[in-house]
Amino acid sequence: MINWTLYKRGIRESWKMLAIFAAVITMYFTIIISMFDPALGSALNEFAKAMPELMAIVGMTPATAELVSFLEAYLYGFIMLVFPMLYCILSANKLIVRHVDRGSMTYLLSAPVKRETVAFTQMKVMVTGLFALVFYATLLGLVNCEISFPGELNIRKFILLNIGALCLQLYVGGICFLSSCIFNDSKYALGVGAGIPVLGFIIQMMANAGKELEKMKYATFFTLFDSEGIIAGEPDAIWGMIALCAGAMVLFSSAIVVFSRKDLHI
Amino acid sequence: MSVCEIQGLIRDYGNGRGVFDLSFAIHQGEVFGFLGPNGAGKTTTIRHLMGFLKPEKGYCTIGGMDCWKDRADIQKTLGYIPGEMVFFDDMTGLEFLSFMAKYRRIKSNGRTRELLDRFELDARGKLKKMSKGMKQKIGIVAAFMHDPEVLVLDEPTSGLDPLMQNRFIELMLEERARGKTILMSSHMFEEVERTCSRVAIIKNGKLVALDNVEALKAAQARKYVITLEDEDAAAAFAGEGLRVYEVSHNQVTVIVQSNIKELLSVMNRYPVINILTPNQSLEEIFMQYYGGGRS
Repeated sequence: MINWTLYKRGIRESWKMLAIFAAVITMYFTIIISMFDPALGSALNEFAKAMPELMAIVGMTPATAELVSFLEAYLYGFIMLVFPMLYCILSANKLIVRHVDRGSMTYLLSAPVKRETVAFTQMKVMVTGLFALVFYATLLGLVNCEISFPGELNIRKFILLNIGALCLQLYVGGICFLSSCIFNDSKYALGVGAGIPVLGFIIQMMANAGKELEKMKYATFFTLFDSEGIIAGEPDAIWGMIALCAGAMVLFSSAIVVFSRKDLHI
Repeated sequence: MSVCEIQGLIRDYGNGRGVFDLSFAIHQGEVFGFLGPNGAGKTTTIRHLMGFLKPEKGYCTIGGMDCWKDRADIQKTLGYIPGEMVFFDDMTGLEFLSFMAKYRRIKSNGRTRELLDRFELDARGKLKKMSKGMKQKIGIVAAFMHDPEVLVLDEPTSGLDPLMQNRFIELMLEERARGKTILMSSHMFEEVERTCSRVAIIKNGKLVALDNVEALKAAQARKYVITLEDEDAAAAFAGEGLRVYEVSHNQVTVIVQSNIKELLSVMNRYPVINILTPNQSLEEIFMQYYGGGRS
């Protein structure tokens, strides 16, 4: 079901992009964690109090004094949503539709390798990158916190938070990958594959912003990643994660089926 | 025994484009020419053979297997040269060939080496920087390196210089001698003439001729442009009962099928300055094959 030659090539092609995202994440994690002050509340909390609307839009609501909810508020409401999402959009586009659009898919399919195998392998490449990115962020958070604030971080909750973020990003990746498999033209694949998650994210920002707009949260799948709920230990938050994960599996499976059955003008 | 069979294939793109009720069969060990002008439906047909497109109606088989359902199995013993060479730009030629070998799970590199030498190809450069001809050679090597039983070649010599076109034709003749079955599409009659035993001609998605190459050759009419001293001579020349295609100023264009001697004897009697045989498009050759003359 997997072609290792193609997989290795995919990984080799992805690592540069991953390294860039990892570097950006490293920067944000290091800066934001350094701003945490368990005694006084952080500078960021002061911002949040000063401009609650603006900060709420990007998911940064005043956190409790706990380190894990500080990370949740300032890293998992924006940074860890946007950058892995960007990775999904670019990666999905590069792995399938770009080959179809340019014509290089011809060579992948004029060999005794099933289309299902090609799509599954490319999906594996994308998911591997996503795992690597979230795993790296988790490790980065843990190490950073343990160095600066030994013993302060609730590790179990932090790991759970990251698993939640991974579930969300798998869902985003599923949308991008499905779109990449449906369309034959990079333009449209990118439009839909990036458009849906970005729109979902904007709706979430609007729902975060105001009371009258709060109902809009039911219109976006981002709501299923309830990072505050995960930290608070709410069972609904876990169900949200499971729903995202299941959704991702449906999206990826459909993508493989669509790609295997469609006409390719290559 | 037919190795490749197309039966009642239909794919309608609208506006008269596509493939309409196409049927033919290619036998074991045969080099089959697939001719037609640009946009006639050659590549569409080949995409069906490769399992890229699902027939709207009808079916294609290779080696008894369905081209759509069993496409991955068919590819084990199939070599394909696409009409357009698009590779993975970041690779060098050698990297690409070794990628394809591993991707196909084949080992022998002796064949690849031999093919590279045959086409005098230095594949160490980046694919992105290669000329059209070099890319074409890479495509040829990739299609032949696993020594396939069936070859599907979509305009295989495009971009090659005459010397390399010859090398390629030699390679095809060798493969034919080894019992390989080859489908070769082209819009150049000359190329097909040298290699193929049978030829199908397709136009506007329909099969318009399926014949031995000799029969087509015999039917092929040639155009000659004869330049005479002045317009009066040209007018008189045109009145000699030859099949005249066009008269303009002092030039007369005649179509000659088998009556070359007649043309020569007429020419003897006139003040001929020059004689030219313009390159004929395939379409013109077909039109004449059907006795359509000028359309």
